[in-house]
Amino acid sequence: MAAQREQERAGPGQAHQVRPRWSASPHALRLITLALAGLIIALITQRPEFAGVAAPAVLLLAARRPERPGQVGVSARTSATRLSEGERADLMVTVTEYGDHSVDLMVHPRYAVVPEPGRLSGDESRLPFRVDRWGRRSLGTLEITLRDRWRLTEGHATVELPTVDCYPRPAAQRTRVVLSRLPSRLGEHASRSSGEGVEFTGVREFVPGDRQRRVNWPATTRRGRLQLNTFAAERTQNVVILADTSSDVGEPGSTPVDLALRGSAATARAYLGVRDRVGLVIYQHSVRWIAPGLGARHYYRIMDLMLADPGLTDTRSREAGITRLPRAGLPPGSLILVFSPLLDRRLVETLRDLRERGFGVLIIDVLNAEPADRGDSFSGLARRIWRMEQQAIRFSLRELGIPLVHWNGEQSLDEPLAPYTRRVMVSRR
Amino acid sequence: MTNTRSARTIAASGLLAAACVVWAAVPLSGARSIGPVVLAAAVACAALSVARLALGAAPGDPVVYLNPVVHAWRLLTRIVRRWLWAEGLVVAALVLEALHRSRPWHTGLLSAALLAYLLAVHLAESRARLAVLRPQVPLLAAGLGLVALAVGAAMLPAVTGSAADLMAILAAVAAVAVGGLALQQP
Repeated sequence: MAAQREQERAGPGQAHQVRPRWSASPHALRLITLALAGLIIALITQRPEFAGVAAPAVLLLAARRPERPGQVGVSARTSATRLSEGERADLMVTVTEYGDHSVDLMVHPRYAVVPEPGRLSGDESRLPFRVDRWGRRSLGTLEITLRDRWRLTEGHATVELPTVDCYPRPAAQRTRVVLSRLPSRLGEHASRSSGEGVEFTGVREFVPGDRQRRVNWPATTRRGRLQLNTFAAERTQNVVILADTSSDVGEPGSTPVDLALRGSAATARAYLGVRDRVGLVIYQHSVRWIAPGLGARHYYRIMDLMLADPGLTDTRSREAGITRLPRAGLPPGSLILVFSPLLDRRLVETLRDLRERGFGVLIIDVLNAEPADRGDSFSGLARRIWRMEQQAIRFSLRELGIPLVHWNGEQSLDEPLAPYTRRVMVSRR
Repeated sequence: MTNTRSARTIAASGLLAAACVVWAAVPLSGARSIGPVVLAAAVACAALSVARLALGAAPGDPVVYLNPVVHAWRLLTRIVRRWLWAEGLVVAALVLEALHRSRPWHTGLLSAALLAYLLAVHLAESRARLAVLRPQVPLLAAGLGLVALAVGAAMLPAVTGSAADLMAILAAVAAVAVGGLALQQP
């Protein structure tokens, strides 16, 4: 059976042959019951009308049946292999070589896969579905039932459906935190130094070598000497997103892991949209990372890292910590945005260390759960102690100069980040 | 649309089940002493066969952590899905009918109702349209013809001699004709 299931398993879009298992249908068994019961009662009671009760069932059971197909061709593929949480796609199923039999298809979805109203039948079928939670998700299994024209025999086969990558749904974010010191690489953020940007910063006296097109003629007329407009230089910044997925507590769908990944996806999209270099570090039972990079393809590399099997990526043990990442993974002067519930003491120590090394660190607290209250005095006391510990951790981080905001996962990320997006964030060394 | 049709088919099978039980049971006084027991079994089978159709297929993924109420509900639904309630109803209805004195036309109608019930159950559980039964119509007509023949034979007064031989010949010819009609079907 397992070998057969393995044989039936195929990648998306590949047509393959499956061998149905044939048996009498439940309808046939019920007709046999009717016929036998009628005949036995007719014999026992010697009443011919009960033999008549069996007649229609016997006629149906004695009818000649069409030849059974030994194999049927099945192809199952999806309209998209990459989705975001809640996004819709279509499952397309094609069944061939089933002869004179009718085909009935039924999808048994796996966790978080939600089929939407649609019909699967006949040669080519299309069933809309959505995936409600991020992850590398198998859609489930497809049960194929073949029936002859008399509905007396049934052939059953099960096919494994394709797998889709469901990315975390990015939270809403339109604004960005920008550091006061930016690396001297051309970008879209106005820096403090003057340069060739478009943001006006002031007027100064002309010196030989300046471009004449920047002469400010009204100021020149007032002062009697040539005056020149100056503009802010436009720079890019390196952003490293640190997603702490070590603690998965709370309601499924709104755990710190869910929020950390949704927030990270939003942040990556927001910064890559203005051509910043964005990297990602995932802090779990090991540390997985991808160096800062640019462009739409890099966004998908980041999203793939979120779903990747830890065994398949470049990992370092959690004990080694993110401070041991190579220079390419944590460039100097980077803005580090941390999505964490701050439940892991080692991560808290790492953040302190990063701050002391001069990185601009901003923590987005994604903890929205508390220990359960059992109603007794001990659990109440334990909750109070736990809350005090959490407050102490957050207080000590603020004392170190690490800004910390809380995000509940429902509001836009712009709201908690507003105090730091209205003006540049000063990075001290 | 599919759900509406499925609900209609389940409702039809429920009505047919109820009709079969009532038709086989009345008059209850005419049945022997075990009549009420068989009637209770028939009613239970009818109710549970409709419940089985309404429950539909078993859910796919097993859920590990369940509270006791949900666990008990799942156990109950598993039992309802597994047992053959429709077969039980067929046997109980026929036994209930056999407990009464001979009434051939009554038995003939019960036969037609039981057949319709079984077809409705099949349509409901396979979520198929009524049109899938179209190829079976000639066979069903022939089968009902045989039922009518059997009922007619049972209603004839006992005859002896050449009249009985003639009836036997007519019955054999009718049976052969019906059989030939059935075997012609591809």
